[in-house]
Amino acid sequence: MSDTLPRPRVLLTKSFIDSHDRAIETIALALRDAAMEVVLIDYEQPEDVVTVALQEDVDVIGISFMSGGQVETTQKIVAELARWDVSDLPIVVGGIIRPFDEPPLREAGVANIFRGGAPLSDVVATFEALSRSYRGLA
Amino acid sequence: MEGVCAGDTLAMARAITEIENGSLAGVELGLAAQELNPRTATLGVTGPPGAGKSSLINALIGELLPRFARIGVLTVDPSSPVSGGAVLGDRVRMAAHSANPGVFIRSLAARGHLGGVTRTTRKVIDLLAAGGMELVIVETVGTGQSEVEVAELTDVKLMVCAPGMGDEMQAIKAGVLEVADLLVVNKADLPDADRTANFLRAMLMHRGDAEHRVALKVSTLRREGLAELAGGICARLERAGERYAPALRTDPPQAALARDTAELVMAMIRETADPAITALADDVAGGSIARRDAARKAIGLLARDVG
Repeated sequence: MSDTLPRPRVLLTKSFIDSHDRAIETIALALRDAAMEVVLIDYEQPEDVVTVALQEDVDVIGISFMSGGQVETTQKIVAELARWDVSDLPIVVGGIIRPFDEPPLREAGVANIFRGGAPLSDVVATFEALSRSYRGLA
Repeated sequence: MEGVCAGDTLAMARAITEIENGSLAGVELGLAAQELNPRTATLGVTGPPGAGKSSLINALIGELLPRFARIGVLTVDPSSPVSGGAVLGDRVRMAAHSANPGVFIRSLAARGHLGGVTRTTRKVIDLLAAGGMELVIVETVGTGQSEVEVAELTDVKLMVCAPGMGDEMQAIKAGVLEVADLLVVNKADLPDADRTANFLRAMLMHRGDAEHRVALKVSTLRREGLAELAGGICARLERAGERYAPALRTDPPQAALARDTAELVMAMIRETADPAITALADDVAGGSIARRDAARKAIGLLARDVG
């Protein structure tokens, strides 16, 4: 394996303290199988999620939602990214996203919204494309 | 590099990425960091999977922060041999410290490098030291025989296991057990903790210098043994500071120059847009020029480019 091939780096986090790990782990493994390095954390405060994203120098942040906070948490993360002057770091949200969440999420600037059941290949392709464009490649 | 020396999080993080990717920028950053000759205490933490290393480090950071104002943590996990990707989940256990600006945690994928760490971990440690970290903790997976590289990189080494690990205990006899300074029986709240600790102590006696190398019981759940472990680490770090002489600085000058030059040349040739060099690469691939002739020619072309 080439250890100098730059690999996309991604942060995946859950949005609340819940034990429903299956979805986020499925995505993490799919991204790993697509040759990405996935930093997986549990729930952390929005400000801390951004700290982790910066320390890990990731290309994309993926947030998994189940039981609420879809808009509020996302907005807090967007605000924190702006505070650090890294507003171009893309955010993808997934899981239980209600129709009325979508307009404010899009307005907050999320790059993609994936409902549960979205094809894994679409999710993987999206993360790859966002990572490439964040790194300024292709 | 100025950003790194100012302790800027983004600068340090991006520098680490460049160093790990072996890019030209990364090679130059690594050399610059090592030249600053920054001195930082280093602690290696290894042991079988499931021993609770990450949770232990999480607890230890709390004990060590009064003594070391800024602590860096590098946690290394293997990459998938099939895809080359990795899931890096160690920092889940260290979430308590995300909010602390004095703690910088970075997850690294081994990317096929054997030995328990990455090819460039030494340089990343030096970079963190340049960024003001007073202690860098390196966590790797290791059952013993092959994952001993962390021992060369760190002043003090912990080997962590959990009670009742059975076969894994047999596996850790050689290698890491011989180089570890402190053997830790984690999850000491579980049954068999005493038996495991006694087993380790008995093995240490066999090898001598039992007074320097000690087996300790720790329970992060019950917060027991942590202060003692932290004290043992600090005492050994103080002693190590007196005799630490990293290999790089004792290399003969010409060998050191050869190594630095080779790194720079590798990155330059990989990244160059010089059409003469890319054409040369194609010629080799096509078989119209021998590899050793092409390599010599590439040096010449590079010398012309570097001027």
